[in-house]
This record gives sequence, C-alpha cells and structure tokens, in this order.
Amino acid sequence: MILRELSSRALKSLLANCGVRIRTGPIVTRIRSRCGPLVEGLALHYADYTVEDDAGFADFNVAIVRPGGPRRWLRPQIAFEFDGATPFFPLPADQAFAMLEWGLNWCVHFHCHQYLIVHAAVVEQGGLALLLPGPPGSGKSTLCAALVHRGWRLLSDELALLDFGTRRAVPLPRPVSLKNASIEVIRRFAPDAVLNAPVHDTAKGAVAHMRPPAESVRRAAETARPRWIVLPRYQSGATEQLRPLSKATTFMNLADQAFNYDVHGRRGFEFLADVVSESDCFEFEYGDLDRAVVRLSALARQG
Amino acid sequence: MSLEHAQLLLSVLREPEVARSLTLSQWETLIRTARRANLLSRIALELERRELLSHVPEGPRAHFEAARVLANAQAAAVRREVGFVARALRDTGLPVVLLKGAAYLIAGLSPARGRMFSDVDILVPAERLSEVEGRLMLHGWSSAKTNAYDQRYYRQWMHELPPLKHNSRQTVLDVHHAILPTTARLKPDSRKLLAAATAVPGEPQLRVLAPIDMVLHSATHLFCNEDVGNGLRDLVDLDCLLREFGAEAGFWPKLAVRAAELDLSRPLYYALRYADRVLATPIPPEVARAAEVGRPPSWLRRLMDMLFLRSFQPTTSRAGLASIARLSLYVRAHWLRMPPLLLAHHLTVKAFRRGEETAG
Amino acid sequence: MQPPSPLRWRSVPAHAIALREWDGECVVRNEATGNSHLLGPLAGRVLGILLGAGESLGADEIAARLEAAAPDTEASDGPGAIEAVLAEFRRLGLAESEST
Repeated sequence: MILRELSSRALKSLLANCGVRIRTGPIVTRIRSRCGPLVEGLALHYADYTVEDDAGFADFNVAIVRPGGPRRWLRPQIAFEFDGATPFFPLPADQAFAMLEWGLNWCVHFHCHQYLIVHAAVVEQGGLALLLPGPPGSGKSTLCAALVHRGWRLLSDELALLDFGTRRAVPLPRPVSLKNASIEVIRRFAPDAVLNAPVHDTAKGAVAHMRPPAESVRRAAETARPRWIVLPRYQSGATEQLRPLSKATTFMNLADQAFNYDVHGRRGFEFLADVVSESDCFEFEYGDLDRAVVRLSALARQG
Repeated sequence: MSLEHAQLLLSVLREPEVARSLTLSQWETLIRTARRANLLSRIALELERRELLSHVPEGPRAHFEAARVLANAQAAAVRREVGFVARALRDTGLPVVLLKGAAYLIAGLSPARGRMFSDVDILVPAERLSEVEGRLMLHGWSSAKTNAYDQRYYRQWMHELPPLKHNSRQTVLDVHHAILPTTARLKPDSRKLLAAATAVPGEPQLRVLAPIDMVLHSATHLFCNEDVGNGLRDLVDLDCLLREFGAEAGFWPKLAVRAAELDLSRPLYYALRYADRVLATPIPPEVARAAEVGRPPSWLRRLMDMLFLRSFQPTTSRAGLASIARLSLYVRAHWLRMPPLLLAHHLTVKAFRRGEETAG
Repeated sequence: MQPPSPLRWRSVPAHAIALREWDGECVVRNEATGNSHLLGPLAGRVLGILLGAGESLGADEIAARLEAAAPDTEASDGPGAIEAVLAEFRRLGLAESEST
C-alpha cells in the first residue's frame, strides 16, 4: 500500500496507535505520533512511499511525542523518541517534521554499519552514481535537489549507503532538507517541486523539506555503480570549475566524510580505495545553480 | 516495555538455539530490547559462533551484522588503547592491572565477546596515584572533569581519579586505586587484589585480577554501583565468568572464603542469587550455602529483589533521569577514535544530543 | 651539509599497514594507531623501503635505496628531506627510531 491511499483520518489513527511502517529503500521505520505538524509533514512528503504491514520487520521504532514535565503547558514541544529513549533535547512543536528527519538520519548513521556510510548526496543517471560528499554548508543538498529535477534520480541527499558485497550505492530516498537561502533558490529553480512551509528559528536557521520525485521513491530498489565523485563548494559569484582531483586526496576526503570508516577498519580502507579507483574524481566550485547543474550533467553524457 | 520483552531477551541469552524459531515480530522486539540492554552485539557474536546467523531472516540479520562490525572495531580500539596506556606507564615499573572490559578482552575471556566498551579501567596502588597521573598527562591525557567541585569529589571520596580523556584520541581512561569508594561501607583491601593479580601470557607489562577476584569485582561493580543501566549486561558478564572459571580446580571452594577476606560477602550473595534466578547460572549447592553468610536481613532482601529484578528488565520507559543515564552510556558506547571534526559534521547531534551533557 | 644521523629507523610491522597508491601519491592505514594518512611521493617511497627492509635502516641507506630503485626520478632534496619524512613518520606512529 502507498501512503497516499490512506485517508487522512486513517493515517492519523494509525500514527496515534500502533504506528505506520514506512519503507525508505532498505530500511523500514515504524513511526508513531499524535503531533499535528508531524502528521501533515508525513502526509505531504511520504505520500509516494510504501507502507508495510505489521507482520513484517521494522528496523527502527521511533515516535514524536510531547515530553512530560512542567514546560508542556508553556510552549508546545516535541521530542524524538527512539525505542523509548529520547536522545535529543525537545524542540518547538512546529519543528516536528524536521526533527523526525534528523532523527531518521541519526538512526541510520548510528546503526547501519552493515554499510559504509558516507556523508554525501548521491544521484544517478544511466545506472551510474554521482557522489557529492561534503560537510553541512558545502551546498550538496541544494545541488542534489536541483539535479533530481533535471534528469537525475535521487538516491540520497545526505547518507550514501555503500554495499560492501556489490560495491554499489544503495538508495535511501528521503525528503531533501534545505536551509535558508536554498529554499527560495530551489523554489525558483524547480517550480514543480513540493516543499513544506519553512520552519524558522531552528539551530540551522530556516529549514524546509522537499518531497523526492515519485520516480526516485518507486525505483528505490535499484542500486547504482559509483562513477563520479565530486567535492562541491559553493562560492557566491564564482564561475563553475570542475577540476580533476587526485585520487589520494579524494580518498582522504571521502574517509573524512565516512562516519563509520573507523568501524570498518582495514576492510573500510580497501573498500573506499576500490571505490575511488573506479571513479573519476573532481572538485567543483560553483556560484550559479543552473550552470552548475548543466556542468555536472555533462559528466553523464560523457559516460 | 513489558516483562514479555525482557523474557524474550533472557531466553535467547540462556539458549541461543531459540533463534531458530522466532517470528519477525519477535526478532524486532529482541533487537530493540537487546540494543537497549547493550547486548545486541553479544547476541550477534553468539549467533555467529553457533552458526545460527544463516537462520536469521534478512531484515534482523543486517542489524546483527552491524552490531558485530561495531563490536569488532571497539575491541581493536581497546587493544590499541591498552597498548598506549602500557607505553605511557612503562617507565614507572608498575604492572598495568586491567579491570573489567579491557581485562576480559586482553585475557581472552568470554565476557569480551561482542562487548560494547566505553572506556579502559586500570587499578594502581594508592600511593603511586599521583605519579601515574603525571605520566599519563605527559602522554596526552587530561582530566575530563574540569569543574573544581567534581575534581574534589573524585579525589576525596571516590575510588578513582576523575576520568582522563586523551587529547587527540578522545578515549577515556579510568584510573582506580580501589574498587569501592573510601566512603563505602565495605572495605575490600586493594593491596590484596594487586598482590594476587595474574600475568597475561605474551604481555609482560599487563596484569588482570585473579579469577576469583575478577568475579568479586564484577559482583561489587554490579551491586554497589548506582548506575544500573547496564545491570543485565553486567550480570551476563558475571554469568560468563562463573561458567568459565567454574571449570577450573580450586575456584568454587575458595570463592566464599576470599569474599569474606575482602569484605565482599554481601555482593557475592547477590551475585550468585541473581545469576541463578535470571540467567540460570549453574552454581554448586555447597557454594550457594557458603555464600549465605553474606545474606542481608529479609526486608532488605525483598527490597533488593524488587529493585534488582526490575532493573534487570531492560526497560524502554519514557525519558527520565535513569534512561538518560542509560542512553549516555549507550551513546558513549559508540566509542572509537572520533575526531571532533566528525562530531561537528553532525550539527543536529552536536546541538541536540543530551548524552554528552550528563555522561561522566 | 649535515653529518648523517646516527639514528636507525624501523617501520611498524608490515602486517599493520594497508597501502594504496595512485599517480605517485599514496594513502596508508596503520592498524597500530587506527589512523589513515596521505603520503606524497617521497614519503610513500620511503615507507615502501622501510616496509620491505626487514631491518632498521639509517637515512643515508634509505637515500641509497631510493636512488637505486628509481635513478631517473628527480633527485630528492638529499638526506635532509628524508629525515624530515622520518621525523614525521615517528610523530604519526608509522616508524620508530633507535640509536646505534
């Protein structure tokens, strides 16, 4: 069943009781909440996602709840609950959906060590994956949001899951998180994109999420072979420059962005080295999103 | 979280073959419960050891694989860390006596299998404490607690220095001079423990506590420590040690005697009682009888039964101080060389994570 | 020119090192420390020589072996550069020195 097939009332009821089991790529998460903004966000952003039935296996069990305590009467707050514990401080209730997304990222980051996980956006065209590794602020999410509206398929905007056995990128398509100026930039770039209203005063400023294209969600079982690794750097006013980067430097950057690189020890080292060996590596400075997308898309045409 | 969930975990711990017949829903419950109890990787390694992993459906199997990988990485990190500590203390001429997890690992004991380590613990003679601290600081460790109150609290009342953190590796080292705080009612003599410490084959500088002392320390840690977040995990350690050492000649007959000598009869009583009740640890009846000398008054025993048996149920209650403390261990248990840069990459975690604020 | 150093150098055991090379640069993972490093061409070749040596070497011996292995490559800056690399290796835990 696809989530949009559930009536608003049915969705609300499920979320309030036994929870909704949503599949995102290889991960099934059971989500529970009675929080209005969360229900709305879910209905909007996860409309195209598969809802699994209760008899299956859920990898994670999360909830967005009202924390107890005296503050509950002052300002509505919500907390992210993972298996009954709350790893993060509560946030204002209007940030509920953003908190869910951050929480889901945390679940994967901290637990999915069956993969090598790189902090990177991953998009695909022609069966080949473009990895855009980078810390927050490098512009990878904005680039990613733009690319998936110009012929690329979304695998992930933030968490590249690399499979040791196949050496392929495993899709984990989820709403793309956009911050501050990027929100408006993407609205203009892709007027058809579905974004929720931004929430303000978060630790990152204004945050909005963009629904992934339905096709990216539908094709979430299709893995892709890493082919290009591009380290992006947004610099206002800069002319786009795609420069080859040495594989050794690319390796170090990738390892630096691979949260669980140390966990995998020698195997992680050899694996990342193999991925780098088989990819073309670049650094990419850009100042204009349209031209950046054109330049990167030219890579796909070269094959 | 129900008793039923706790019982599922316990039944798998007692008899891993149970894994052949679990439903997906039970796997889901087991994984969540085990993770909260800090036992997921232990179960993963037990299933691997008994060649049962192929019987685990794909969904749950991925979690065991992840937990296995994490535990192996931590074991490698602990070995490295022990090496660094030994090197730092080489010139003191002191043997480095390892405690708890690091000891189990270096001595090749079964509680190390699938263990999630959070720090390294060592025991040094009280009179050499400043010298040891000085050496460690020369090699890059510094006190994690800079608050003057905390410093005084540890140095005056506790049985260990304030935790030391290595400046570049970010790993934590606890230096103990006793196994209980000076203020505790029980007074086990550390000099006796140090004197009986045994060598580790192939590691001339390292020592671990003698088998009986190791068991008694584990019992003391479990029953005299206010942090019961790892209660079940610690009891599993005890169960492992008792089974492993129980096969050695001279272990059982001397256990209660040594406990009395070290003023640890009370923790031993509880240890045997709860290991038997919760994990069905095989304990010779004459040893249980000998341990009766440590039995508390009935009212206290009933209270402890209630507290401990409940604390052994890995609960998934709503946020409270206890679950924050448990989670801070849980978060801290992901202990590897994590440069500050990696933490900074995850703004949400850095901004919002509670664990660091309350962790020791 | 400085007199040759009396120090002799030995790398960590070869089984602790994983190494990959591209276009003269290499990346190294040292199991003994858990750390990974990027080495430039000279450093990479020096490490290779130490790993293959099986005994401790002095800086001048390393220089001689470098020369013998690749006489066409541009001359390194002499023992000084090699000693700087070795000192860095010691700092990183890739090699240890012992006095003769």
